[in-house]
Amino acid sequence: MIDDQERNGKKEIMEEFTVIGKRISKVDAVDKATGRALYIQDLKLPGMLYGRILYSKYPHAHIIRVGTEKAKALPGVITVLTGEDIPPVRLGFYKDNPLLKAGKVRSYRDEVAAVAATDPEIAREAISLIDVTYEALPAIFDPEEALKPEAPLVHEEHKTNLLKMPWSLHYGDVEAAKLDAVFNVSERFSTTWVTHCCMGTSGAIADFDHSNNLTVYTNTQIPSLAQKDFQETLKILGVKDKRVRVIKPCIGGGFGSKLDTYAYEHMAILLAWYARRPVKILFEREEEFIATSPRQPTVTYISMGCDKEGRLLYRDMSMVLDNGAYTSWGATTPSVMMMPITSLYRVPNVRYSAKCVYTNNTYSQAMRGYGNPQATFAIESAIDMLAEAAGIDRVEFRRINSNQPGDVTPQGLRITSCGLPECIEAVSKDLEFGRSRENGVGVGLASLIHVGGGARIYKSDGCGTIIKMDDYGKVDVFTGASDMGQGSDTIIAQIVAEELGVQVDDVHVFHQDTDICPWDVGAHASRTTFVAGNSALGAAKKIRLRLLAMASKATGVDEDKLVLRDRAFFVEGKPVLPIAKLLRGSHFTPRGEMMMADNFYDPPNENMGKDFRGNMSATYSFGTHGVRVKVDEATGKVEILDYIAAHDVGRAINPLLLDGQVHGGVLMGVGYALTEQVIMENGRNMNPDFRDYKVLTAMDAIHSKAVVIETIDDQGPFGAKGIGEPGCVPTAPAIANAIYDAIGVRIKDLPITPEKVLAAIKKKNGTVSCGIDAFTQKEQACE
Amino acid sequence: MKKFKYLIPKTLDEAVSLNQSHEGSAIYVAGGTDVMVKIKSGKLAPDYLISLKHIGVGSQLGVNRETGALHIGGLVTHRTLETSSLIRLQYPIIHDAVQRIGSTQIRNVATIGGNLVNAVPSADGAIPLIALDARVNIYGSAGERTVDLVHFFEGPGQTVMDRGEIVTEIVVPKQPSRTGGAYQKFGRRAAMELPLIGVGVLITLEEGSNRCAKARITLGVAAPTPIRTLSAERYLVGKEITENTLNEAGKLAAEESRVRDSVRGLAWYRREMVEVLVQRMGVKCLQRIKETEAL
Amino acid sequence: MSREIKFVLNGAQTCVAIEDDWNLLYLLREKLGLTGAKEGCGRGECGACTVIVDGLAVNSCLYFAVEIDGKEVLTIEGLAGADGTLHALQKSFVSNGGIQCGFCTPGMILSAKALLDENPQPTEADIKQALAGNLCRCTGYVQIIESVEAVVDKSSGDINAVVRETGDSD
Ligand SMILES: Cc1cc2nc3c(=O)[nH]c(=O)nc-3n(C[C@H](O)[C@H](O)[C@H](O)COP(=O)(O)OP(=O)(O)OC[C@H]3O[C@@H](n4cnc5c(N)ncnc54)[C@H](O)[C@@H]3O)c2cc1C
Ligand code: FES
Ligand code: FES
Repeated sequence: MIDDQERNGKKEIMEEFTVIGKRISKVDAVDKATGRALYIQDLKLPGMLYGRILYSKYPHAHIIRVGTEKAKALPGVITVLTGEDIPPVRLGFYKDNPLLKAGKVRSYRDEVAAVAATDPEIAREAISLIDVTYEALPAIFDPEEALKPEAPLVHEEHKTNLLKMPWSLHYGDVEAAKLDAVFNVSERFSTTWVTHCCMGTSGAIADFDHSNNLTVYTNTQIPSLAQKDFQETLKILGVKDKRVRVIKPCIGGGFGSKLDTYAYEHMAILLAWYARRPVKILFEREEEFIATSPRQPTVTYISMGCDKEGRLLYRDMSMVLDNGAYTSWGATTPSVMMMPITSLYRVPNVRYSAKCVYTNNTYSQAMRGYGNPQATFAIESAIDMLAEAAGIDRVEFRRINSNQPGDVTPQGLRITSCGLPECIEAVSKDLEFGRSRENGVGVGLASLIHVGGGARIYKSDGCGTIIKMDDYGKVDVFTGASDMGQGSDTIIAQIVAEELGVQVDDVHVFHQDTDICPWDVGAHASRTTFVAGNSALGAAKKIRLRLLAMASKATGVDEDKLVLRDRAFFVEGKPVLPIAKLLRGSHFTPRGEMMMADNFYDPPNENMGKDFRGNMSATYSFGTHGVRVKVDEATGKVEILDYIAAHDVGRAINPLLLDGQVHGGVLMGVGYALTEQVIMENGRNMNPDFRDYKVLTAMDAIHSKAVVIETIDDQGPFGAKGIGEPGCVPTAPAIANAIYDAIGVRIKDLPITPEKVLAAIKKKNGTVSCGIDAFTQKEQACE
Repeated sequence: MKKFKYLIPKTLDEAVSLNQSHEGSAIYVAGGTDVMVKIKSGKLAPDYLISLKHIGVGSQLGVNRETGALHIGGLVTHRTLETSSLIRLQYPIIHDAVQRIGSTQIRNVATIGGNLVNAVPSADGAIPLIALDARVNIYGSAGERTVDLVHFFEGPGQTVMDRGEIVTEIVVPKQPSRTGGAYQKFGRRAAMELPLIGVGVLITLEEGSNRCAKARITLGVAAPTPIRTLSAERYLVGKEITENTLNEAGKLAAEESRVRDSVRGLAWYRREMVEVLVQRMGVKCLQRIKETEAL
Repeated sequence: MSREIKFVLNGAQTCVAIEDDWNLLYLLREKLGLTGAKEGCGRGECGACTVIVDGLAVNSCLYFAVEIDGKEVLTIEGLAGADGTLHALQKSFVSNGGIQCGFCTPGMILSAKALLDENPQPTEADIKQALAGNLCRCTGYVQIIESVEAVVDKSSGDINAVVRETGDSD
């Protein structure tokens, strides 16, 4: 065991840990391997009804009439609700999204009616029996078009399609820097909708007890905030002062999809309220594609310049984000994009503005990386272009501009531990950048910065932990964290086990229930290991101190001579007292003590100020990805030959799980780069299934090499930083850069489909027309 | 999803007569991978499903010693074809196709007959079989008949089959020596793909030369049905097979295709891919001929 | 129409009354309480519902329940030994990081089992091909493939992995 002081500075010594740093299998893996783990799909309550939602048939229309008579008459139908029947529940932090639409729909995804029936098939039939009369309205699907004065308004009362969000910053003097810069690039990049594709679809069960206390079983990443949202809905229903309990069954994947509360959850609550029976809503796959929120598309304009030596002088970026018809956390991604924009590499002068625009498309939300993948795609593509313009080797260019420990970036991010230089080295060594290559083969790299020590986007960035020990030395940890499969339970168990000298199997981590678990702001921003880890560590330390004090009293040995390990106290290498025995003794005694401690950890990070300055995270994670691709110049297909992902993770608490996060993130990133796209045609999702939404398969798997750089962060639990999201952040630009290296064409729009690559090759070779465009019926230029 | 009854006839004739007695409200089902998906999505709503899995015919796979023809029962699964060494070694063009249909789970149950009768323009099973001049044996209340596979398809989901007819067998005539074939499904992922375009090429060389005696170039997703591209085939016959002639054949095939834009891919790109893949599959045919001769 | 079918479910003779329009996944999950097989799409596209019927991996969401009459069905619940000893694949997935959210896991393990039963020495390409119909969004497949490889060649397993004892007694 090492204490904070030892941790500072002495990074080189091999600390002796019993469970930290070990490849320990996930605590819930056996349940999952045997089919015992229960997901929302597997839960049923007695008397439970099945809810279903009717969505709009138009992207933008007046609702003239919703005819529910036939649906209500269907045997087995218990409740039918329309926007006219319910009080005005509104969703999202902007409160622009009525739970059931009345008067007007603004996207195909709009909820028009809902039913609860005794059987899912009956609910389905009831939905098909609801007649809705619409009067179509002109609709708008392109965010840049939506900004024009003549564009139809998505929300009339809002008076403009531009959301009133303050996303604009300027540090230093970009205009002056532009005059100083010797080399400049200026480019437009775009990214499109991609979606989480959690293998377990979304679902919730709402259940009221006799005194109207509400229990919601749901797949949320934000139990405490969900509890608050559900409370608000109850208030609107006129139910006050009741308990809301949120229970999380196993989650079949999160990736940011469950960071808000959604219509299906609130609808289940309303249906249960009116039906007076538990109601379950479970999405089918098609509904999951259509009615959950994808990552938001962006159009990015970037210009960047450097001096003769290749030092970055300025970065000037503006963005238009397609917000869709309603506002969820997609609209606030610019707050996180600011981090790479101002702070990926040293750049003294930065300007950024972003417009979030209402359209009649689906509304977007958070997805792994939260804006960072979009911003980094533009930045890292442009870095390569600038290096080329300056005639400096791409790796060298990044070395010159790399962040370093001790930097304070223009936004005020305080870089403490920083392994970016090592990450760049690891990648460049492995892929042998300068070497000549066969035709069509190229290498590329891209780096990332991400919050690694929480992210203060709310007033609190805290997480609570309660630890209790029983008569047998077993430990129960009640955490606010949410495990969605990423393994936070295991990481917390390791941290506690290490601190208390017990085995991981002695520790049971409980995160599933707001009645039992303490508060937390949610599993976002890769914050769980750092924040929940520190919270658990703090609680464990309290227990440890008490155990030592008690043991000292019981044995008469000085506390500092007692070593706590292997479930016992040791003196000079000999076990003198098992923990279990000590605990039993403290319980079974007059005026006994209970072994329990709590801890609330809120990291020392800052909310952003008015000008968006502020040290948002207690520490930052870095990484560099490198890729070798082969481009088939006749088909435009890109094949990935080698992939290396180097990450500064502070400390790898569990390398097995860490590798899993990296491999999973990388393949998701490769999908983002090459194959995945929600194809929207006039607001309609054209590929709501796995046949046409191209999640990569085992045959597409890439054996990426995961390199771990341990910088042992001062603030992190045992030195660890967050790693949940970074794996998918720099993948797309690394691939785009490699393609450019291979064949000299730069693809600026994601995904990089073979069509785009081939069209670009043709254009480069002087071919102009690529045939007739099906949608416009016009000659289509190549590119 | 509408409720249906599932009937399990034990003979071919029983299946046909059950179909007749439920005229209009019954459909056959083999592996069910197309039928079940259509029922679930509401595209089909039959009152009766008549299973063909227990009628005792349609599971043969082998070469007729007298004629040298390959017989594939209508109920043979893609997986059976995939794992058959006969198919892998002697009909690699079929193997190319069946090993990439859906997933192992799909191939374990989905049948070749179902693939043909389902008659989508992308039917992977059909393209190589057309190239091999396969014929389809069909049985119905009017007895048995045989149709050339190339004339089997009439449009998306439409075939020459009359109501109640059953595909009992697919017969691939013996191929001349010095014949090589290859198929590629071109998609975005390595697996679980519907093809953006599917290209099958089969070439027979004259004895002792590289001159083409016979050529078949068949395409999937290039028209409302799987097709042959006759102008490209005609062009090759009598010519040396070289990169150039294959390129030209690719161009002709691309011209002859009637590719369209869809969410899955753009027409111009599909046309390009026909051109590229005809050439590549042609080269593969030559390789395979050489490999066989080297044995 | 209701009918009775007899089949062997996880080694036990089973007789149930079913409706003609049920699929096997529905029968297992809703009527027999075996929720290990998951529904990820209901359309044959994700493999979460994979079970083994007469030795073959199939998508139970597309498999008519009627058709299991007289057959043998293995679900994830029947894979561990009667005394709870985990199957080698289960152990390997647990200790090699083959499991994250776990939603794909039962199907993934059964696809791997069907592969190994047919081909005890598969190559990496064979493994990828066999698992191509089982989508996983969490792992990027790398550790899943390694989990299968570790069973094929015991010595290539992750020797650093700490296999916890509870894993074996569950
Ligand atoms: C996830 C998924 C992936 C797929 N991937 C591919 C792919 O890559 N390539 C591809 O080509 N297809 C693919 N398919 C489609 C399908 O699997 C194939 O078309 C399959 O061969 C159909 O066979 P089946 O036995 O399941 O047909 P069924 O669904 O049983 O029947 C299909 C049709 O044929 C009729 N029918 C079946 N057998 C006969 C017979 N012997 N005589 C007369 N009529 C008959 C039925 O009445 C029905 O109309 C995929 C399907 C799914 C669900
Ligand atoms: S649920 Fe059966 S394949 Fe997806
Ligand atoms: S572990 Fe989550 S989908 Fe595979």
